[in-house]
Amino acid sequence: MRDFLFSIDRISAWMGKAFGWCIMIGAVGSTWEVISTKMFRAPTPWAYDLSYMMYGCLFMMAGAYALSRDAHVRGDVFYRLLKPKSQARIELTLYFLFFFPGILALMYAGTDYAWESWTLRERSVMSIAWFPIFHFKFIIPIAAFFVFLQGIAQVIRCVICMKEGAWPAHLHDVEELETTLVHAREDEQETADDLGVKTGSAD
Amino acid sequence: MTDPQVAILMLTAFIFVIMLGFPICFTLVGMGMGFGYYYYFNAATFGTPGHGIFDNQIFDLLVNRTYSVISNDILTAVPMFLFMGYILERANIIDRLFFSLMAAARHLPAAMAVAALATCAIFSTATGIIGAVVTLMGLLAFPSMLKANYDTSFAAGVICAGGCLGILIPPSIMLLVYSVSASVSPVQLYAGAILPGFMLAGLYMLYVIGRATINPALAPKVNAEEAAEILGSNVIIALLTSFFPLAILILFVLGAILLGWATPTEAAATGCIGSLALAYGYKALTWDRLREAVYLCARTSAMVCWLFVGSWTFSSVFSLLGGHSVVEHFVLGMNLDPVAFLILAQVIIFLLGWPLEWSEIIIIFVPIFLPMLPHFGVDPLFFGILVALNLQTSFLTPPMAMAAYYLKGVSPPHVQLVEIFRGVMPYLVMVFIAMTILYNFPEIALYLPKIVYG
Repeated sequence: MRDFLFSIDRISAWMGKAFGWCIMIGAVGSTWEVISTKMFRAPTPWAYDLSYMMYGCLFMMAGAYALSRDAHVRGDVFYRLLKPKSQARIELTLYFLFFFPGILALMYAGTDYAWESWTLRERSVMSIAWFPIFHFKFIIPIAAFFVFLQGIAQVIRCVICMKEGAWPAHLHDVEELETTLVHAREDEQETADDLGVKTGSAD
Repeated sequence: MTDPQVAILMLTAFIFVIMLGFPICFTLVGMGMGFGYYYYFNAATFGTPGHGIFDNQIFDLLVNRTYSVISNDILTAVPMFLFMGYILERANIIDRLFFSLMAAARHLPAAMAVAALATCAIFSTATGIIGAVVTLMGLLAFPSMLKANYDTSFAAGVICAGGCLGILIPPSIMLLVYSVSASVSPVQLYAGAILPGFMLAGLYMLYVIGRATINPALAPKVNAEEAAEILGSNVIIALLTSFFPLAILILFVLGAILLGWATPTEAAATGCIGSLALAYGYKALTWDRLREAVYLCARTSAMVCWLFVGSWTFSSVFSLLGGHSVVEHFVLGMNLDPVAFLILAQVIIFLLGWPLEWSEIIIIFVPIFLPMLPHFGVDPLFFGILVALNLQTSFLTPPMAMAAYYLKGVSPPHVQLVEIFRGVMPYLVMVFIAMTILYNFPEIALYLPKIVYG
């Protein structure tokens, strides 16, 4: 069960990270737009569409990744006072009550929406270049599908936690700088404490 | 049950579920979906052709709201600014900045605290990320200050309060998010926040220098030459290689937005490229750091923008059910004058800052107040700047004082959390003073937007 859980985690992380690079494409594209507008007086017809498409793909596809890393905000004032077992019980209930209905609806509605756009071969009215957006709209059902998949992994997490009384560990991944620094400090402290114990016993 | 009653039920249930600690964006999507289905459900036609289980208009609403987040042209700047921040916090820039500012400020009382405050303010403005500034400075400036026999609380307060200034001083991500929530122009909001931002930083600075002058024991004078020696070279050169490149980058990004040369997204994109160049210049641009920045940017953008997906769905359904007008009638029925209304709103936001983070407050709760602003003749821009000032406190007040926890996490074990909180308290007073001044002289916020927009 754990292997299955981790393989979903890996898929979500891989997706989120791969689409994370959209930020570089967007940044370079928009910078080029500024240079070419201001210096060559030749605005590009594509930069505007590129920037929001990159942004849309980036954040939609990273949704599952954020869920797998517990990066979506929660109001955890009371939550963190609970025992892991009770946390898991509450979460499991709420996944079925809110998460799955919402995400399945987004998948269903998103497919319809994108399909309609596809049949019309829709183009953006905001775009200078009359940019096609019908394939872009498929990002909604696709992203929702991966979030749904990650939701299954989260349910498995809850079940494991309810059985074992502790949350299963996450795979190693990049962390916010503050988290890394605080952990580094804690490790340092532990090593210092260990040494202290050792010298203490030697005395 | 009538629709408005259902709306109140919806809001109450939502607040209850927040307390349970479920990821908020999915609670919002799920609840919006459920209550919306109820709203559009028509028992009379249900079951007839074209009115099956899946023919509810809520599906269209859900996907339309989602697409409007995807195609929002201001939110596109959010990942850009985040990425710029993640690159800059990995650019080995903060120690140079701190030491050169310390050498430059060596003739002032509490030189180290002044330098730490200035470093925090500039760095957090450039990165827009609170935690990183506080931990980095907690490892760098905090031990230096303690070694120089600074009072622990005094030193801790400087770092926590200074690190939060970045959410007010533009180009801040929080103001950008508010501008989307409140449909205010981000350009005007940035223009409006400049003077209040400097005012608050100035108040902090005055407080630090004032306290150190009255009670020099708090901040013993460091050997002035020592600081200059650490640099091993001229102070001017040190400033030129550390302070100015970062300051110019911020000013360029901000200037481009305010002068209308570029949209916030484009300006932030040039900021990304500029910060990459800066990191390269400081020999800090490694493949690992770039990857870290990209991945963290993806995660944090997903957090902010999915919250919008949930919130817009939820609030559309809430207002279809008539929830917004119930709240509006209730507040208008209290017969408040504008001052009382503003104070009430700010007190509520202050209290929400205890358990919640800024993103939830700005994206979910502030929009509840927004429709009432015209009744009281309050400018949404002015309100936004008051909120931004107010939210400084949400990082500083227990139980969820993130700034204090980050500092505690990296400080030596003998530093108590209580000492940090004690050091932070005076800055809360400064924030309230700043809000009072701003309320009495709204021109501080409204003057620059008027110039920019005529």
